[in-house]
Amino acid sequence: MDLFHGEPMFGAVRQMTHALAEQEIRPIAALHDRDESMPWDLMKKASSFGLSQTAMLDTRRITGDADDRGDKGGERKPGRAARVAVVGAEELAWGCAGIGLALAGSGLAAAPVARIGSEEHKQIFLRALKGVDEAGHIKVAAMALSEPQTGSDISSLATGARRDGDHWVLNGHKQWITNGRSASIYVVWAQTDASLGRGGVRGFLVERGTPGLVPGRKETKLGIRASETAQVHFEDCRVHKDLMLGADRVSEGLGDTKKMLDATRPAVGAQAVGIARAAFEYLLERVRGGSLRGKPLAGHQHIAFALAEMEMEIQASRLLVHRAAWMADHAMDNVAFASMGKAHAARTAQAVTTRALALLGDEALEPGHPVEKWYRDAKIYDIFEGTGQIQRRIIAKTLTGLNAV
Amino acid sequence: MDFALDDEQSLLVSTVRRWSERGLRTWAADADRGGTAPGAMWSAAAELGLLLDAVPAADGGLLDGDAGAYSHQARALRGIELGRGCAALAALCESNVEPALAVARWGSSAARETLYRAIAADGAPPAIAVVAHDFHERLAIEDGGAAVTLRGRLGPLPGLALASHVLVVATGAAPVLALIPVASPGARVVPCDPAPSAWRAAAWGALELDGAAIPAELVLARGAAARAAATEVLSWMRVGLAARAVGVAAIALDHAAAYGRDRVQFGQPIGRFESIAHMLDENQTAVAAARLLVLQAAWEIDRGAASAADSASRARDLAARVVARATIDAVQIFGGYGFVNDFPVEKLMRDARPFEVLAGNEALSRVLAAVEG
Repeated sequence: MDLFHGEPMFGAVRQMTHALAEQEIRPIAALHDRDESMPWDLMKKASSFGLSQTAMLDTRRITGDADDRGDKGGERKPGRAARVAVVGAEELAWGCAGIGLALAGSGLAAAPVARIGSEEHKQIFLRALKGVDEAGHIKVAAMALSEPQTGSDISSLATGARRDGDHWVLNGHKQWITNGRSASIYVVWAQTDASLGRGGVRGFLVERGTPGLVPGRKETKLGIRASETAQVHFEDCRVHKDLMLGADRVSEGLGDTKKMLDATRPAVGAQAVGIARAAFEYLLERVRGGSLRGKPLAGHQHIAFALAEMEMEIQASRLLVHRAAWMADHAMDNVAFASMGKAHAARTAQAVTTRALALLGDEALEPGHPVEKWYRDAKIYDIFEGTGQIQRRIIAKTLTGLNAV
Repeated sequence: MDFALDDEQSLLVSTVRRWSERGLRTWAADADRGGTAPGAMWSAAAELGLLLDAVPAADGGLLDGDAGAYSHQARALRGIELGRGCAALAALCESNVEPALAVARWGSSAARETLYRAIAADGAPPAIAVVAHDFHERLAIEDGGAAVTLRGRLGPLPGLALASHVLVVATGAAPVLALIPVASPGARVVPCDPAPSAWRAAAWGALELDGAAIPAELVLARGAAARAAATEVLSWMRVGLAARAVGVAAIALDHAAAYGRDRVQFGQPIGRFESIAHMLDENQTAVAAARLLVLQAAWEIDRGAASAADSASRARDLAARVVARATIDAVQIFGGYGFVNDFPVEKLMRDARPFEVLAGNEALSRVLAAVEG
């Protein structure tokens, strides 16, 4: 199986994103972590050379992939978008996961627009992200799915959409929304018909300034602090019926969001690999330069075997993530591999950062120490985009056909 | 063998737990955000006898007897309860124990005078004492026979920014146990600004020594005697750390179990999912084991057992790993809410880290000792 070789594009993407991570992201990572601030200047700069907030919508043009629906006819060629995403995501997260998410945060909203939006929806989305906002910042988008009572169990969304003439009226509260305060456009998921259950859940495009759309409190978080997370409230928010995604086709309701999460999961796993690799490389450099009782640190099994263990887990995580991306690019069902890659990489990132901190000792107590930051950043990968428990449930269901409780 | 607490120990546990719940825990979030301990904590800690309990009564403290009369079992029981309140504030409240005991045990009258007067003085906040263990042998030590001259940097360490005195413990080529007034020429405390993300309210600082000359009367021990003394001091410290780690782990599990009962997903409380119940169950076993090992180590110290240092080392080691796992799992059980500071578990996960690295990596030391015979 040839996952990545023979495609110069992947090497070029890796090279470019690594340079960005090393030269632009690493130097400002501690500052944005400490201040819990978005890297607006870098976001603008990155956008100017192709890493735009709307990259998700542009990716197929950039990668030359066929349209998602395969409506160009003929035999479908394998795509490259998923593999480009995992290569880039690992490097950006190696620089700083929070900043990487800030750079790519709009992609969460762009994914459903790309997948089920009409051409008009895409144009609305792209137009909403043109230029700068009132604060002079590059414009960003948000996907509003999770709710205070709906973390893992997205099938019980409480935000409702009631039809009123040519409009839908949205009411409800969203929680843990990336770019929730700053977004210029939101993709909001709401229940349009409770009698349809999961099938009644639909996505709506809602632009900033729409009456009834109320950006809420920004959260103070354990990690990924350069990425904004906030609550968003909808209070009789009227949205024109044409702004409902997938209105022109048979919607799979909540299934659309699940497929979207399946599609982004490999890149999320790749971010966790990037964090693990960052901590591993930091420790490796320390070990190479150090000695203990007259013997190189690397000559002590206690330390060397810990490094070996980390390397095994990182390589295994990356292979799972890459396989999931390769399957996505080949239009194969990658649900189980996407979950395995994400879950394994999340566990690896936590294990590697925790062990690295222990081996580094009191050095890592210094304020702003990068490994301590990566330890805090790593935790979210076992929580967001489907917790470790949800991933295991998905994997197990592919094995047994049952939902394990 | 008796695992039951006696009446005095039960009273101690219930008293400290009450204060920990009504005081430390209520102050914890603000102290974490602001990076400082509240003034009310210091007065309450003094009232509870936490600041001077290791200072002999003859020197104005609360210890009835000399250093040998100090109960490390009581200290461990107390530490577990303090850890349930707030790791940072608990560390400050317990900081005086090792320096005060070491000076009681090996100090000259001058050392007793300078240390005990400083930490008994009124102050807002009061001055405290801190142990700085040169585990990585970063200090350059010149033992001139009388005075000892020190160069190098130690830390960051909790409490240093409030310290009047530092008990330096060095076990390298020139072993020494010395009490350094931070106002000594050549000594300087540099507060950590910003604070580390763990124990943010613990007044972190680094001690910079640039030719600080410690007079003979403040050198508590040298050579082989210093090495032996260091082993004892570190055992006390490790039991203190381990006890507080157990407390942090226990409260993290309490929060997680309560959340598991309240949070409903997929039509049932998440604590009724087998994976969550199993996660809690495993952690509870680990916390129970760590608690017993801590209490055993404290019991051995109180009896002067030869195995005390080894048990203290293992207790700290186990408790540190247990608190790391328990707090990470508590955040996991809280899910998205665990990652934001509306709930206490993200702070607990940050606060778990110092337990594993303060006072050195003795797991590695034990391994080396085993292979080197």
